[in-house]
Amino acid sequence: MTEATQNPTASRFQRFRKSRFAKFEFVAGVTLTCVLTLLVVFSGVLFPGGGSEVNLLARLSEPFQSWENPLGTDPLGRDILARIVHGGRISLTVGLLSALGSVVLGTVIGLYAGYYRGILDSFVMRFADVQLALPFILLAITVIAIVGPGIDRIIILMIVSQWVQYARLVRGSVLSLREREFVQAAVSYGLPNWKIIFSHILPNAMGPLIILLTLNVANNILLESSLTFLGLGADPQTPSWGGMLSEGRSYIQTAWWITVFPGIAIMLTVLGLNLLGDWLRDELDPLSKTR
Amino acid sequence: MKNRPNLIAKGALRSALLATCFALAAPAVAQDTTLNVAQRQDPQNLDPIDTFRLSWGSIGSNVFDGLVFRGEDLELQPGLATGWEFLDDETRIRFTLREGVEFHNGEPFNAEAVKYTFDRLLGEEGEKGPQRSNYTSIGEVVVVDEFTVDFMMERPDPVLITKLAGYGAMIVPPMYIQEVGEEAFDMQPVGTGPFRVVEYTPTVGVTLEKFDNYWNGEAQVDEVNIRFISEDATRMAELLSGGVDIALNIPTPSVETIQNHPDVDLVAVDGPTVVLTRFNTANGITADPRVRQAISMAVDRVTIVEALLGGLASPISSAQGAKSFGNDPELEAYPFDPEAAKALLAEAGVVPGTEITLDMPNNDETFREVAQVISAFLGQVGLNVNIRTHERGVYFNDIIENGKTGEIFYYGWGGWTFDFDNTAYILYHTGERFNPYVSDEKLDELLDAQRQTYDRDVREGALQEVARYAHEQALDLPLYNTATIYGVNTSVEGFVPAPDDRARYMNVTLD
Repeated sequence: MTEATQNPTASRFQRFRKSRFAKFEFVAGVTLTCVLTLLVVFSGVLFPGGGSEVNLLARLSEPFQSWENPLGTDPLGRDILARIVHGGRISLTVGLLSALGSVVLGTVIGLYAGYYRGILDSFVMRFADVQLALPFILLAITVIAIVGPGIDRIIILMIVSQWVQYARLVRGSVLSLREREFVQAAVSYGLPNWKIIFSHILPNAMGPLIILLTLNVANNILLESSLTFLGLGADPQTPSWGGMLSEGRSYIQTAWWITVFPGIAIMLTVLGLNLLGDWLRDELDPLSKTR
Repeated sequence: MKNRPNLIAKGALRSALLATCFALAAPAVAQDTTLNVAQRQDPQNLDPIDTFRLSWGSIGSNVFDGLVFRGEDLELQPGLATGWEFLDDETRIRFTLREGVEFHNGEPFNAEAVKYTFDRLLGEEGEKGPQRSNYTSIGEVVVVDEFTVDFMMERPDPVLITKLAGYGAMIVPPMYIQEVGEEAFDMQPVGTGPFRVVEYTPTVGVTLEKFDNYWNGEAQVDEVNIRFISEDATRMAELLSGGVDIALNIPTPSVETIQNHPDVDLVAVDGPTVVLTRFNTANGITADPRVRQAISMAVDRVTIVEALLGGLASPISSAQGAKSFGNDPELEAYPFDPEAAKALLAEAGVVPGTEITLDMPNNDETFREVAQVISAFLGQVGLNVNIRTHERGVYFNDIIENGKTGEIFYYGWGGWTFDFDNTAYILYHTGERFNPYVSDEKLDELLDAQRQTYDRDVREGALQEVARYAHEQALDLPLYNTATIYGVNTSVEGFVPAPDDRARYMNVTLD
């Protein structure tokens, strides 16, 4: 919005810089995300054992010493690389499913509340305010103390606590979109509401939604790691990044590789998704088109 | 809660006063020496009759004395009683009390205090706590004269003299308790021990101060500051950085780190704590003894102890260590034999790939590794183990107590008396709090019978019989007896590791 008032030359230069950086973001983001996704998808083929073969004779082997265990082994002699690749399954599954679940739930509620307004709107939005005020970790600890730990529960918990942000975002867009001329025109043609919502309003609200989605996936991967770290997530023998960090804590002075490598895996994944999200934001924002 | 600011204010005032004294009087005098200690648990209550936690033992043993004293060598010696004799066909025990002993508040120690202690323990107040049940063999304590008391026994209790050396039998001051009330005593107890409690802040720690009129010598440090750090990694970090001088409850994964550290020594001694996995003998596939035997044969305990626990534990064949009274060295654990295990499972109709659940508390790093190894061993005989973790309190007070466990569940127990009676009764006697599944007439009979006699041979025979029977039925899978491990800064001298976790700091000096 401010671009109109800026010096056109400077603006062009900025755009040029931005496009170069955007390209880098795109390439790096896509590469990181694709490599990780491929590794995770083919984890069963690459490491058929699932990274859970215990070999007490080879416990705490150092990294970069053998082809068998390139990243070393953990206290039970399990291969760190295999566990990281398999652990990615949990992280990515949780990240994707929880984000997709909340985006669907949040969008439906947001569309409905924004388009029809009324009592439902105020009720849902006040409920959303309350929901946003609940600290997630506290909620998770309480719920898991009652129903017991498990990945499926973590995903549901994340959806339950995160649909709110999508609902608010979508509702905001809908509120402004429904007053726009093309929507008013559709109404005057007598199109049914559902058709207006899905073919005129939703497509125009997609941009911010997709950006939020990518950032949300990254965020949920971190969240899953923290919950597993606290012993609230996956079963201790299922490899997961947070669980590996937690297990390696006591060994950090004698066997750094147990914690460092899963830490790097988390970092690269989140970085990749964030770069992708940044790039998408620039691409989908009509005012910052570089072409 | 209400008087906490007050206490803090007092503390602050005292230290301010102290500081002024030192500044004015003697700049050359050595500063107050404070020993910093970290332990995992908060006993949540300092009253000896209100707790059964080992975490109380490492505080209470410095604050209280019993009639009998049992130190780090586990020998029973005179404590507040100088001697005792069995009279009237062992139905009466006469204790001669030590003269000239006083409580921290100046109150004298005498026969009245002993009587009050046991009246309180066996009466209404004791009923609220977990310690009373250990002492119900005592009918009544009768005052003979100021320094003589008679214990009139309700029934024989072979472990009584040992039990008088700890926990519920610690002598408490009658006047002080009547004056301040029971609730204040929980927070600010008074005993006859070498240290007195200055301040106890739940979940944070407790500060002890040297008691100058201690009857049995003098503590070497002026103050002991015990902090409760439940997170293993944090406690280790404090130890390694010099933030604490002594750390209790060292988790096995940290052993190597401590051994490699120049400023910290690892001190280990055989302890009473045994770790076992118990079976749900009432439901599921483990209701079949053959399945339990098969599981016992599928797990290689020796490898677990040697590879995982760094040799700081020893494999056991019943739920007790080698030091325990009632241990039968002849009893051999099930041999590690996966083939025989598979055959037994097949015989019992368990198909490969059957899922079973192992329950455990979520804050035990050592057992978390052990559980995964057990899971791997069982995987090789066709049992897929899901490990379920629970918050420790929920685990003991709900999952175990209410019988909500899966087929296999963790249990760790440290009977500080080193007498199998304590552990076996809890594990196998019908209706005990932590025994949701086992109910066997033969075991009940054996366990009750050995409580009726002082004859050591008879008792030993009965207890060994219990262990053998539990082994035959494979009621549990005894894994190992852990060493009690302390991490001690090299600046600490004179610390003798207590096998039963009842660490005493009286003779410790700091460089």
